Parts: sequence; C-alpha cells; structure tokens
Amino acid sequence: MTDWSDVWLVIPVYNEGQVIADVVRNAMATFPNIVCVDDGSADDSAARIRTTGAHLVRHPVNLGQGAAIQTGVEYARAQPGAELFVTFDADGQHQVDDVVRMLERMRAEDVDIIVGTRFKSGADTSHIPWIKRLVLRTVVMLSPRTRRLGLTDAHNGLRVFNQTVAQQLSIKLNGMGHASEIVEMIDRRKWRVAEEPVTILYTEYSMSKGQSLINGVNILFDSALRTGSRR
Amino acid sequence: MLIQILLILAVVGLLVSFLRHHGKSRTAAGVKIGFALFMVFGVIAVLVPSATSALAQLVGVGRGTDLLLYGTVVAFGFATINTYLRFKELEHRYAKLVRAMAIQGAEKPEDRATGS
Repeated sequence: MTDWSDVWLVIPVYNEGQVIADVVRNAMATFPNIVCVDDGSADDSAARIRTTGAHLVRHPVNLGQGAAIQTGVEYARAQPGAELFVTFDADGQHQVDDVVRMLERMRAEDVDIIVGTRFKSGADTSHIPWIKRLVLRTVVMLSPRTRRLGLTDAHNGLRVFNQTVAQQLSIKLNGMGHASEIVEMIDRRKWRVAEEPVTILYTEYSMSKGQSLINGVNILFDSALRTGSRR
Repeated sequence: MLIQILLILAVVGLLVSFLRHHGKSRTAAGVKIGFALFMVFGVIAVLVPSATSALAQLVGVGRGTDLLLYGTVVAFGFATINTYLRFKELEHRYAKLVRAMAIQGAEKPEDRATGS
C-alpha cells in the first residue's frame, strides 16, 4: 500500500453529525492525517469527530465553508512533513479512490493543483440532477477565466494541491463563493492546474444538505464586488 | 440631456473610485468632503429653493426637487456599497480572529488516545 503520511485531508464540517464519523473512518483507512474543521456546528459533529482519529479544529462561531477550508489548510500546512493537501466534503459525496488517483497524478506530473470535475468530455453526467447540471454548466460558460484555464467544473469541492498552493492560499470569502475565488487564485498566481474526472455521490442526505441554487446569486454578487475591490 | 450624463458619470465614477481605493484614508477623507458638500447643498436648498431650481434648469432637470431626488438616490447607492464593503472587511477580520482561536485550541488525536 502506498504511504500517504505526507498527505493531509481537510474536511470542513457543519452540522454533519449524522454521517461525519463514518466519512472520516472510511477516509482514515487510507489516509492517516485528517483535520476536521467544525464550523460552529449546532449538532454533535464535534463529539462524533472525537470518536475518530482525526484532528479537530473548532470555530467557536459559524463562518462558512470557505473560512473553514482556509482554517483547515492553515492548520495542515503547519504540520511537520505535510506535502500534499486535499479538500474533502464531509457529507460522503467524495470517493477515496478518486483522491488516491489525484494524489498519484500529483506525484507523477508537474502540477500544483488538481481539481475534480464532473464534466470531463465524455463523462456520464446522468446521475447529476439536471437543474444542478444546468447551473454548473452556466457558471462555467459565464466565466472566461474558468474556460481559459481549461476547467469544466468550477464548483467541485474535491481538490488536491501541494505546499506552494497551500502556503499561498488565502480564501477571503467565508461563504460558498470560495470555489470561484480559488479559480481566480489559480489564474492570478499562475498555479499549474489539471483536472481529474471524479464521481460525486448524490445521496439523499447530501442532496438535502447541498447548497441551494439561489445561493448562486450570492456567489456571483460577492465575486463581482470582490474582483473590483482587489487591492 | 446633461443630467443623464452627469448622473451616469457620477455613479460610475463613485463606484470605480470606491472599489479601487476602499479602506484607504484618502477615500475616507473624500467621503467626508462629499458628505459635507451634500449637507451644504441641502442647507442652500432649504434657504433658497429657487437656487436648486435654477441649478436643475442648468443641467436639464425640470424641478429642483427632482434634482435633489436624483442626488439622494446616487448618495444612497453609494452609502449602501460602502456599508457592504465595510461589512465584508469586518467579516474577514472576524474570520481571522476565529481562525487563530480555532487553531490554538486544536485537538490532536493523540490527546484523546484513551477515548472511545
């Protein structure tokens, strides 16, 4: 078995008490280093995480997923021996096999960050709810930057990156806008980026937790204003 | 009409300068000067209503009240963006504070090795 001791999984957690322990245990079978960022959950997420072997970092108040990821990465990058970093969802949507494939590519290829995609040409997208597909496609079409970078899925939460990216990462948007913010950082900081087709499991649980499409409006608004206010 | 050009220029100019220099002390000073001018304009409008009408005629608006309304709308939009950006900045600082606390209080798995 490959040694993944230089890999850190960053899992932002917000009210995922139902599933988080299973998700962490399942990932832990492969990856020894996991940090869960409990983003001010109101449920028993923290207690559940304590039953696993994951590191636990707790936001005393809820800030949002972007902020949680940033916290997790800042914690992980300070750990001795940390070389590769993974952002992983807490709701069980992401597959460990996909992560392993992405990590192997990271080690073999000259890239700084690999982003998961649901829409690589030829991929079967029939399992993705059509409205979600439509919105995600539209977002990519509306973003010249995403297309220029050759990305097909800007809002995939599964990412693998190296120290360079981890050190430079500074997510300012606390909420869900961080996905486009990361795309912008890839572009601006000239990180070498690649895509890897991944499978997202749309379980009933994850669907009930997933971000609403209305939130897309917030994301667009935040992104537009932030781009303008960049100093 | 002159007023249309003026209004659009005002809005675009404010927005751009605002987004560019937000948070710098020069902008803060600019905001104060702008606000002071607006107040002075208000006082004049109260004392000499015909003056605003004359000004309105000059820029191509029918009445002085309309000119005031337009000005208020621009000022309001400006204030809204100002507040929004300030909140964002605050939120960012707040996040940094929370993050520092969170990382300081991190629980390592070896700390609870005896746990279930």
